[in-house]
Amino acid sequence: MTMLSRVAERLYWMARYLERAENTARLTNAYTHLIMDLPRDTQVGWEVLIQMLDAEPVYTKRYRVFNEQNVLRFLIADQENASSISNSVRAARENVRTTRDVLPEETWEHVNELFIYTQETAEKSIGRRHRYEFLEQIISRCQMVNGLLMTTLFREHSHRFIKLGHLLERADMSTRIIDVGAGAILGRAETNQAIDPLLWGSMLKSLSAMSAYRHKIGPLVEPNAVVNFIFKEARLPRTVYFCLTGILEELQPLSNNGDAIQIVESALQKLTRFDAENMTLPQLHQFIDQLQISLNQLDDAINTAWFLPMQS
Amino acid sequence: MNKTWQGYNSSLFYDELLTSSGNPRTAARAMINFLQRLPEEEINERRSAAELAIRDMGISFTVYTEGGNIDRNWPFDIIPRTITAKEWSKVSLGLQQRTRALNCFIDDIYNKQRILADQLMPADIVLESTNYKPQCRGVSPRYGAWAHICGSDLVRNSNGKFYVLEDNLRVPSGVSYMLENREITKRVLPELFENYSIQPVDDYPSKLYQTLASLSPRETRKPCIAVLTPGIYNSAYFEHAFLAQSMGAELVEGSDLHTGDDDCVYMRTVDGPVKVDVVYRRIDEDFIDPEAFRKDSMLGVPGIMRAWKAGNVAIANAPGSGVADDKVIYAYVPEMIRYYLKQEPLIDSVKTYLCMIEKDREYVLANLDKLVVKPANESGGYGIMVGPHASVQTRREFAALIENNPRNYIAQPTLSLSTAPTYIDHTVEPRHLDLRPFILQGKDTWVTPGGLTRVAMTKGSLVVNSSQGGGSKDTWIVEGN
Repeated sequence: MTMLSRVAERLYWMARYLERAENTARLTNAYTHLIMDLPRDTQVGWEVLIQMLDAEPVYTKRYRVFNEQNVLRFLIADQENASSISNSVRAARENVRTTRDVLPEETWEHVNELFIYTQETAEKSIGRRHRYEFLEQIISRCQMVNGLLMTTLFREHSHRFIKLGHLLERADMSTRIIDVGAGAILGRAETNQAIDPLLWGSMLKSLSAMSAYRHKIGPLVEPNAVVNFIFKEARLPRTVYFCLTGILEELQPLSNNGDAIQIVESALQKLTRFDAENMTLPQLHQFIDQLQISLNQLDDAINTAWFLPMQS
Repeated sequence: MNKTWQGYNSSLFYDELLTSSGNPRTAARAMINFLQRLPEEEINERRSAAELAIRDMGISFTVYTEGGNIDRNWPFDIIPRTITAKEWSKVSLGLQQRTRALNCFIDDIYNKQRILADQLMPADIVLESTNYKPQCRGVSPRYGAWAHICGSDLVRNSNGKFYVLEDNLRVPSGVSYMLENREITKRVLPELFENYSIQPVDDYPSKLYQTLASLSPRETRKPCIAVLTPGIYNSAYFEHAFLAQSMGAELVEGSDLHTGDDDCVYMRTVDGPVKVDVVYRRIDEDFIDPEAFRKDSMLGVPGIMRAWKAGNVAIANAPGSGVADDKVIYAYVPEMIRYYLKQEPLIDSVKTYLCMIEKDREYVLANLDKLVVKPANESGGYGIMVGPHASVQTRREFAALIENNPRNYIAQPTLSLSTAPTYIDHTVEPRHLDLRPFILQGKDTWVTPGGLTRVAMTKGSLVVNSSQGGGSKDTWIVEGN
């Protein structure tokens, strides 16, 4: 059974938006916890979140100050921010609305519920009091949809394009989190033995990778080990390596896959050779930039090979 | 008896569930006994559960004129409407007969035009109708079937008899609501299904699939069927998606299809072009092919008419079917049944006055306060005047409309539509309703057991269309006694 190009494209974006909503919720949750632990005069502020999401141009058009209220409104409920949780959920729902015929029946019900919940709750969940519950709900509802798809979706094109969307979005987010997180921690004038482990730990938490890290590496949170772990660990679903190998696996059975596969294979090679131990901060930045470029090229290649109207 | 039912008056009109003396009819007895014994708070709980189920299922009806594409939930009343299987089997035969005659008529009009040559009806009312499409002349679809999916509106008059009010042969909608309504009733009143034998409606999608598959121009094990939708902004998009999904068909938009140099229709897929055998179109024929009909259409598939005429793709309903979906033509359906099938109609039509005929027009203009006036070509309940409810001003406007364009207007006596108990706030009140069964015509003819019951939620109102604030009920065809 084949699949309409238009449908494949919408499934891919449904997955990207669901993943984006979930990741933004994870990141915001971890960061909120972290901020509560930090002494008041620390040089780490809320703007880090905006930097991680690469959203400074949109943000600064809307707000002058990077305070908690503004940043959280921007991330959770802002209608002008295309990637706010509220808008990501809306976009995911629009895509499901137009592809319900190829998804398990309950998908629409769950995504619609998620949408209604977000509409009703986002605006009043900006403050600290209700924020945690809201973010947990977003994460668990997204997980419910993922679980539903994982356990009931027929393994054919629909599953393939959904998985591509999830993995690409996740790889993108994990890369940004390391980029900005490491930059913010390592780039400060002086290191702080009391705070740094907390910062690195929160980065692991935002990727749900804390306990896996402890299990594999050990209880001490050490910068280079964290970066290597999030980039290269093959067995943890939120690492860049895991996402890229997953993408490769899904690309193999598709026709017309040459360009996309080449991009992923070359990125995987670079990743295999990567080691944070012998890198300076600017070198790390440069490496991540290249990785981001590869991910953008991959998105272009997927678009060209399977979504764009063919010339007839 | 809980107090929600107190004061229910079933004696003003024919009531579907109660006799005029207020006793439950046979098919409704167990259900009414059950509902009347439920404590009021439990009824409220079940009504809320139904609302929640509707919300979760995303049942919504988008009304064009509301702007900004607002979804409005489609009101659902939890009290089912019941009909005995014995009565339904007669209605069902009548509907099959009617659909067969209508298809004979369409096939005749686009081919030999015998009925016009034999002067059973004036040729100009057919050939000058906007629904007559000369582009379809000379085409012979399989089994002589043009209108493969027909939604006929039935009403019951004060004498308890069913009448066909109109036949929707273009792109009738509403069948998904029939299916979803049953789903909701099973969720909120599960106890009732233990003691009742109710004909299931769930196999509509597989019957529709069989009907469409039987039209395929190629003998393949699994023909490629595409449901052609105008897209997400169409009011019935939800239904298009639902039907595609439950048939395992592709839900396509015009831009997903193209016609190749070999006059075959293809869809654009991640594996390259794939040939389509049957298109179940849910867009109006005027928009289906800019090469043949409206040139400004962005929704259609250029060249699809070419492919259809070459016999390379089947289209359901066939373009041109609308010629029989005209309230003037409606007046001649009993004649068609006699002419093509040599049978007497098994189900009645409503007496119809054609304003184009002088004698009829004079009668209509003199009796506007008693009649329902309808434009011949509109659907969705737009542009209708219900004489007894209309102001003097409105009646005057309609008189002018009729005199200016008599061909475009028909009139019918105002029927006393039947009622059924319906929850309005916290009491049960009688509300008028109709019934839209769906008739499938391919290799075989098949009628849904029941159909979609639509209710006019406003007191006294006779307009049941969802676009005009109507709601719906589950419809039970009940076996045995």
